[in-house]
Amino acid sequence: MTQLSFLPEFPPVASPLALFGLLLIAGMVGGELVNRVLRVPRIVGYVLTGMFLGASGLGLLDAQQIKEAWIFVDIALGMVLFELGRRLDFTWLRRDPWLAATGVLESGLSFALVFGALTYFDVPPIYAVVAASIAIATSPVVVMVVAQELKAEGQVTERALNLVAINSVIAFVAATMLLAWLHHEYQAGWQTIVLHPVYLLTGSLGLGFLATGMLLLLSRWLGKTGRGHFVVTLALVLVTVGLARTLELSVVLVLLAFGVMSKNLDERHDLMPFEIGRVGEIFVVVLFVVSGASLHLDGLIEGGTLALVLILARFAGKSAGVLALTYFSGVRRGTAGLLCLALTPMSGMAISIVQNTTQLYPEFGAKLAAIVLSAVLILELIGPVAVQFALKRAGEAKDEAV
Amino acid sequence: MSGEEMIFKPSPGLSVGVELELQILNSRDFDLARDAADLLGLLEKTAHPGAVKPEITESMVELNSSIHGNHETLLTELKAIRDAITQAARRLNVRIAGGGSHAFHQWADRRIYPTERFNHLLSLYGYLAKQFTIFGQHVHLGCPDGDAAVYLTHILSRYVPHFIALSASSPFQQGEDTAYQSSRLNTVSAFPLSGQIPFVQSWAEFLEYFEKMRGFGIVEGMKDFYWDIRPKPEFGTVEIRVFDTPLTVERAALIAAYAQSLARHILVDRPFAPSRDVYLLYNHNRFQACRYGLEGTIVDAYTQRQAGLKEDILRTLAVIAPHAASLGNGEALARLRAEVVGGRTDANWLRGVYRERGSLNDVARMQGDLWMGLRTHVDGKVPQT
Repeated sequence: MTQLSFLPEFPPVASPLALFGLLLIAGMVGGELVNRVLRVPRIVGYVLTGMFLGASGLGLLDAQQIKEAWIFVDIALGMVLFELGRRLDFTWLRRDPWLAATGVLESGLSFALVFGALTYFDVPPIYAVVAASIAIATSPVVVMVVAQELKAEGQVTERALNLVAINSVIAFVAATMLLAWLHHEYQAGWQTIVLHPVYLLTGSLGLGFLATGMLLLLSRWLGKTGRGHFVVTLALVLVTVGLARTLELSVVLVLLAFGVMSKNLDERHDLMPFEIGRVGEIFVVVLFVVSGASLHLDGLIEGGTLALVLILARFAGKSAGVLALTYFSGVRRGTAGLLCLALTPMSGMAISIVQNTTQLYPEFGAKLAAIVLSAVLILELIGPVAVQFALKRAGEAKDEAV
Repeated sequence: MSGEEMIFKPSPGLSVGVELELQILNSRDFDLARDAADLLGLLEKTAHPGAVKPEITESMVELNSSIHGNHETLLTELKAIRDAITQAARRLNVRIAGGGSHAFHQWADRRIYPTERFNHLLSLYGYLAKQFTIFGQHVHLGCPDGDAAVYLTHILSRYVPHFIALSASSPFQQGEDTAYQSSRLNTVSAFPLSGQIPFVQSWAEFLEYFEKMRGFGIVEGMKDFYWDIRPKPEFGTVEIRVFDTPLTVERAALIAAYAQSLARHILVDRPFAPSRDVYLLYNHNRFQACRYGLEGTIVDAYTQRQAGLKEDILRTLAVIAPHAASLGNGEALARLRAEVVGGRTDANWLRGVYRERGSLNDVARMQGDLWMGLRTHVDGKVPQT
């Protein structure tokens, strides 16, 4: 034991907590700068900050640190998906079946067009089909956060969020079912082929259901106290995210299911409505910084052209679906066009699907990543701008003056 | 410019028409939504009686009935318009509610409905324009001529506390219990042109006053006066504006029937001469009605005595009963009488729901269910969810 053993190790190891704080500050500064200079949503700044700090930039954030920070991403994702799930109102879909139909059609068309376009450009069908299923989903976080940043409210906002919830669920189910094919392709046993997707789906829904039951019981017992409900909900979101990880289930599906069920099964209206708001915002900043840091610019050169093909085919598919059916919902003219734009952001959930696949089949994952993550990279930057434009143009953003 | 529109257009015998300002709620936390434009657009595509129009903020619409002879046809039409609005609202996943105020919306969140007039009101009145997101029922009573309209306005002023107590449905504002039965009228009082008609005795005298105000550049038309009761020459009516929007169209129709029967009594029997004392006592009596509703105590300008508001209404109901009968409103007023005797007001219902449920979100939600006809108003009791 030396005289100076009370000093920390050298080089010092950053604790995850300090990392979180630093990422938060960096993200805030980046977001603010981008917002002031370019007048685009802060999210774009968070992502750029991440890229600047990560592998594509200074390399300050290495894979290990990204992995450590991933827990904060999960928390943010959990909160946003829960809230999004609460927006998916089944009674509305029954009253306006055209909205549900729009969601199904735009999902189907974007899948078909992306698959068609990629195979046309000689992408092997198995990659094309997984990429296409990932492309179905619109980023729940981007749409939700931009809407919150603008305090947007109205038909374009509400319909966009419901379409996002629908296409997220469809994308996830499609990706899970494709897992079976992937298992088959890689000569896994039949148990894996059948049971893995079944486990993912039923396990995720089951966990969401249990969490809902717990939440409703607790909130009934607490009575109508806004603060109590907020804390309990937040706590259960954290528990659920953690359990989903432990049980190797899908965070996305579990939390979405939790949100959807807590809204649609709460027949006595025991849970008080609230927004996760400020607390969620903090984690969301870190989410985008980290996802920015995990994107690789060099992949863009490799997968760039195909990513563009994917983006265009996806936009065409979504737009065709939305433009075909939105008229029948009886909303104002112009709503359909704005909805097409609002569905642009690609889901950061693609990153985690790709990562999971990479863990299972490293070779496959790497090839997929080049295409999908390049598309995500481009859309992380364009998507928020498109959503902001759509919501402002719809006149649904809160005006600043008195 | 006032020439044409200030000519009093005679109305056929004691007709009645109703305007209701309504709340648009979201389906998430039941705060005010901003979907007026979409709702109006959708309603344009559906055939329905009456009219639905924009109001000052994007969270409101105004429903207009046609002109009616009595309670029955009025109620039938109001129900038909209600059903049309409800159906459109449900397709857009918003809810429509009655009630004079939204229980917990924050006025700063409101957005002005973008028309030239509403933008002008915002630039003129500042935050008052957004605080004006309150919801009233206006009842138009047809008059044979301008002189009758002036007389009717003066005599109806004595009954303003009745109108307030019968319709009071705004106990909550900005998330708080105000202790008032109708807190909405406190918001109206902030406007410089609120108040009452001056003590003129004929239409000619009224025109003289109006021209003077117009000459000063204070007003352009009758719509600039935010009076509790005002003559509306282009419709040939006297418009009572102190009612909170009731929680149901059924109650709105009962209240209109009360006003119509009372007006018939006033114009046919000419029971009193206009008195300055009515206006001397006006603010006191109005306050009592806003604060305590049916339990308030007013001072009657004609007997110079105190009277309980509930008793005064019951007495009036007895006096106007023959007129109600000849209009075909007898049954309606009998129902209204039972409500008054039972002390059932919309404000009490709202407070009851809050006591039962403990959450203003639930109050707003159930208020919407009630107006849209998804929940029945059983004896004023708080229904179980």
